[in-house]
Amino acid sequence: MAVQTFLFASLIIFSSIESNHGATEVSLFTNLENSLEVTAKPTRVGVVWEAGKDIVRITWMLKSSAKVNDDAAFKTVEVKLCYAPISQVDRPWRKTHNELSKDKSCPHLIVSKPYDKTTQSLNWTVDRETPTGTYFIRAYGTDVNGYEVAYGQSSDAEKTTNLFSVEGISGRHTSLDVASICFSVFSVDSLLVFLVKEKKKAKLQQRK
Amino acid sequence: MASNEDGSIGSSLHGVTAREQVFSFSVEDGPSSQAIRSDDPTAKFAIPVDSEHRAKVFKPLSFAKPHMRAFHLGWISFFTCFISTFAAAPLVPVIRDNLDLTKTDIGNAGVASVSGAIFSRLAMGAVCDLLGARYGTAFSLMLSAPAVFSMSFVSDAVSYLAVRFMIGFCLATFVSCQYWTSVMFTGKIIGLVNGCAGGWGDMGGGVTQLLMPMVYHVIKLTGATPFTAWRFAFFIPGFLQIIMGILVLTLGQDLPDGNLSTLQKSGQVSKDKFSKVFWFAVKNYRTWILFVLYGFSMGVELTINNVISGYFYDRFHLTLHTAGIIAASFGMANFFARPFGGYASDVAARLFGMRGRLWTLWILQTVGALFCIWLGRASSLPIAILAMMLFSIGTQAACGALFGVAPFVSRRSLGLISGLTGAGGNFGSGVTQLLFFSSSRFSTAEGLSLMGVMAVVCTFPVAFIHFPQWGSMFLRPSQHEERSKEEHYYGGEWTKEEKSLGLHEGSIKFAENSRSERGRKAMLADIPSPETGTPAHV
Repeated sequence: MAVQTFLFASLIIFSSIESNHGATEVSLFTNLENSLEVTAKPTRVGVVWEAGKDIVRITWMLKSSAKVNDDAAFKTVEVKLCYAPISQVDRPWRKTHNELSKDKSCPHLIVSKPYDKTTQSLNWTVDRETPTGTYFIRAYGTDVNGYEVAYGQSSDAEKTTNLFSVEGISGRHTSLDVASICFSVFSVDSLLVFLVKEKKKAKLQQRK
Repeated sequence: MASNEDGSIGSSLHGVTAREQVFSFSVEDGPSSQAIRSDDPTAKFAIPVDSEHRAKVFKPLSFAKPHMRAFHLGWISFFTCFISTFAAAPLVPVIRDNLDLTKTDIGNAGVASVSGAIFSRLAMGAVCDLLGARYGTAFSLMLSAPAVFSMSFVSDAVSYLAVRFMIGFCLATFVSCQYWTSVMFTGKIIGLVNGCAGGWGDMGGGVTQLLMPMVYHVIKLTGATPFTAWRFAFFIPGFLQIIMGILVLTLGQDLPDGNLSTLQKSGQVSKDKFSKVFWFAVKNYRTWILFVLYGFSMGVELTINNVISGYFYDRFHLTLHTAGIIAASFGMANFFARPFGGYASDVAARLFGMRGRLWTLWILQTVGALFCIWLGRASSLPIAILAMMLFSIGTQAACGALFGVAPFVSRRSLGLISGLTGAGGNFGSGVTQLLFFSSSRFSTAEGLSLMGVMAVVCTFPVAFIHFPQWGSMFLRPSQHEERSKEEHYYGGEWTKEEKSLGLHEGSIKFAENSRSERGRKAMLADIPSPETGTPAHV
């Protein structure tokens, strides 16, 4: 009982120290302006994209509805591949978090380009290491210090439209399969060889 | 056993028991042994041995035949199997993307990875009793190596689960390892020896958290994509298993006097009946209490091996590499924690006998579980690491202490009891993973704390383990004339007919050697009574 009290006391002390630290500026998603318009057009329509093969034309620009100086703050645009809600189900490591430094829903960076106040675009080949899943594309406008100030995405606010599926590579190789079978057979065979040899030896000894 | 010291009662009769010729495990050449002085058979061993030819000292740096060699082969085989079974855990962040796994899939695969061993550990107990520890170890290593290699074929959640299930079978080497050391080392040091063998083997669960990410990185450097690299990385544990299997078969020996099949064929070791061995293991209630206890010491440890790397990676936003290092520290603590538990058990036995062993077990396991509760509640990284280290020491020492008790539960069914207890460890791990880590109901942090609470509760049953000759946590040994003798307890495993055939002699010898479990007070008062003959000096 005393041990538990001591443990809880030390826990409270340490966690209060921890919570005071880190009160610097934090980017929250809800604070961002939706001032960018992002479109994603695939070269092959209506099919599941293959990682490492399919090409998408991504375009981003300031929204026509945005005010004139909205884009004064951001210097760089980071375009990211984000998980759609369906790919986040039962996968807490892809959870969306309002605090952008903790957000895990957009882990794949497509490109990071300096913003030049014009419409920018990119022909992007879906990365070979992209996992199987359903995605949309989001662009963050970041300021001089690297903090996000604005965003835009190819899907709607609820992330239900304009989603696309990617089929990742399997990572399997015939050579790997063959090597695997060879070593497995070797393992079982060497065991059998030993068994047979020892049985013979024991029989010989018995006859002696 | 107090008569071991120089000049104490009967020490001049060192080694003489007057029963030498009859015992199944102690003779080398049948008829000629009648002429040999009982000192001579022991002289051919590099280490001092007792009347059963089990080693009396533990020299970890030696590879002497057959005792220390068996020790090293045993623990390294077990270590290798731990590496294979938990090889997937540090790579889960890559595997989950490759196979599009959900948390439920990963949790279920974790349960599967420890469930296979429930059955294989039971089977291994029987295999050791009937075929010897060498074959048991080799079967386990070489028949599960194909499962390790087959990670290259896995393409979805179902195949992933199936492969992890099959790899998990190799954890049966735990039983063969503990059995091997129990027949090679004498009762007084068995806690320490089993603790070292078990602990150093368990370290594999820690080493794999470092080894696999490292191998994975090296393979990626050669140009492979992540989704190929992780599959290829599994070849390393596979190779290790094959190499160890070959070493065990060529360098190992089942018993101090030779291999089991040779001794059986020459009539020196009688073949026991599986049904009898099984019945006496299952009938003994202590087996089942140990089953539950181990489920919440080793079981908790196995669960942590599966979840802790991912926990640190996800909760504290660390890299795969860093999370692996922290997770590895948990498993690596086994190097000293489990032997410490075994040693503490031996020291407690010297002072208080079996009652000391039981109390040591209860204290270590409960303290470990309390720190597990703390780990789940820690929200800062340094506190979490501290809690995890203290938790690992407590729980792993408890594992060592438990196997200071297990060898005394039965002599006839030693293998099967090791098997059942070992299976309990895996069963506990399966249950805790299923309850707390396979769904989104609890966060991993909550799961950890709840698991700790369950472990505290499930450690109470140790109070019910009672030996008539030695007592229990709260009860003194029986005062009854017959039941207070070790011979009565171990002799009770044989029927009258079997006794008349002399089949129980090995158990009687063991009973004499186990008098050390009476503790210091009882030993000082214990003057050997005429009917047991000269004390079995070891």
